[in-house]
Amino acid sequence: MSEIAFFGAVEIGLVYALVALGVYLSFRVLDFPDLTVDGSFPLGAAVCATLLVAGVNPWAASLVAALAGSMAGLVTATLNVRFKILHLLASILTMIALFSVNLRVMGRPNVALLMQDTVLTPFYGLGLPDHVVRPLVVLVVVVVIVLLLARFLNSEFGLAMRATGVNARMARAQGVQTDFHIYAGMALSNGLCALAGALFAQTNGFADVTTGIGTIVVGLAAVIVGETVLPARAMLWALVGCVVGSILYRLAVQLALSADAIGLQASDLNLVTAVLVAVALILPRMRLKAASKKREAVR
Amino acid sequence: MITVNGIHVAFGRGTPLEKHALRGVDLTIPEGQFVTVIGSNGAGKSTFLGALAGDVIAEEGRIAIDGVDVTRWATPKRASLVARVFQDPMVGSCTALTIEENMALAAARGRRRGLGSALRGDRRRHFRERIAELGLGLENRLHDRMGLLSGGQRQAVSLLMATLAGSKILLLDEHTAALDPGTAEFVLGLTRRIVEENRLTTLMVTHSMRQALDYGDRTVMLHEGRIVLDVSGEQRAGLDVPHLLALFAKQRGGEDITDDSLLIG
Repeated sequence: MSEIAFFGAVEIGLVYALVALGVYLSFRVLDFPDLTVDGSFPLGAAVCATLLVAGVNPWAASLVAALAGSMAGLVTATLNVRFKILHLLASILTMIALFSVNLRVMGRPNVALLMQDTVLTPFYGLGLPDHVVRPLVVLVVVVVIVLLLARFLNSEFGLAMRATGVNARMARAQGVQTDFHIYAGMALSNGLCALAGALFAQTNGFADVTTGIGTIVVGLAAVIVGETVLPARAMLWALVGCVVGSILYRLAVQLALSADAIGLQASDLNLVTAVLVAVALILPRMRLKAASKKREAVR
Repeated sequence: MITVNGIHVAFGRGTPLEKHALRGVDLTIPEGQFVTVIGSNGAGKSTFLGALAGDVIAEEGRIAIDGVDVTRWATPKRASLVARVFQDPMVGSCTALTIEENMALAAARGRRRGLGSALRGDRRRHFRERIAELGLGLENRLHDRMGLLSGGQRQAVSLLMATLAGSKILLLDEHTAALDPGTAEFVLGLTRRIVEENRLTTLMVTHSMRQALDYGDRTVMLHEGRIVLDVSGEQRAGLDVPHLLALFAKQRGGEDITDDSLLIG
């Protein structure tokens, strides 16, 4: 793997680390399987790119993109909480709707960012090569968000949100407004995914309506890899695990693609990811089965 | 004080499975009274408790706690006034969270939950002191996940959690039914101690007539969604399980029943 390919993998891993954190919030904290992210990621990219072309400040554009993602999360949460639509289906409905929304936002299938200032612009030309600057800037953003998120999840409000996902009945008996916490968690989760989309657009120089496909699986893969590599219970380390998982996943993919002997193409990425996630989900169960069989044999 | 006036609860209205679980229950519990509730399977005990806690909203009638009409309040809102311990230790606590996190969750009951840390130093110390009172050695296991505790330990912690936020009403839903007899005895003793120390107004649903008479100072029997027996004071002191059975049989119009049919469920 060349140096540029390595830094490229780390960069994309860091961008998708925000997706992983969002997926961790919905899947793990709230126990809400949410596919909205396949729509909120490109939504973030679309909103950010469109605003940048219109000459808006890049940080403001990124913030608005995150807020747009939060709105998408609220739509899914409303469909589920208020109208009792199954969470999975509710999120698929929002995701499908967002495809059209994203086309409307951009007015065409993709927007190129060629001459526009991005959040990275001020850091180019400080002496470091561009392919190092990009992951560094994203890393700073990710670190700040991980610290804030850990603090949030350890707060009274965050604890109530975690209880909502673990045992809603108990949470309600302890006075937790579980519905409200689902809204808040879903908004936060999709806000992070949209922010990832915004950073993706700025680091890659384009927004495309199709970039969202499979976002959820990539995010989930990162979460699972992270949990395997860093099996921690403390909140901060669980979040760091998501980030590490996302980077490791990208490095593994890069390695697989650059090894000509395997004969994989870039277009095989989604298949590889799906297989990886499936295996990661199946393995613990098989290990459990094997362990119980061994126990029986001893008896 | 709890005042219940003519509440009705029905499940599955308009379907073939319609169940009229509560048919006009009236009950006034003065402050500091410990009431035990018995009744056969399907008598409406749990529904009654659920109606007080807010899990089921009464279709008719009125429920007031300390003079506040809470009839339409949902569970989270009522939680500011009412603490609860569930039958299943798995339901009453978050098994994936640590003991101290569970306690922090309970301590914030009825308060606005802000962005401040849930486990500040002073709070941790307070939790450690309180849990040491149980005498189970759990003060050194505050970082352990709740799921690692035994059923009895978990019910003991749940009882403690019920007192952390300072509400004055405690609802116990067969909270010893899932425990072995020895552990149940321990948890009941702890219940009595906690109720007395905190002077809680308590409603304990139980499946055991023995427990119903041994604990608390008033016993209420539910049958087919109505209160059919309400004894306290000297009348109750002179009662034994066979008397209770006889009284119950009389209420039902002389039907002969056995203790078993009441014990089951």
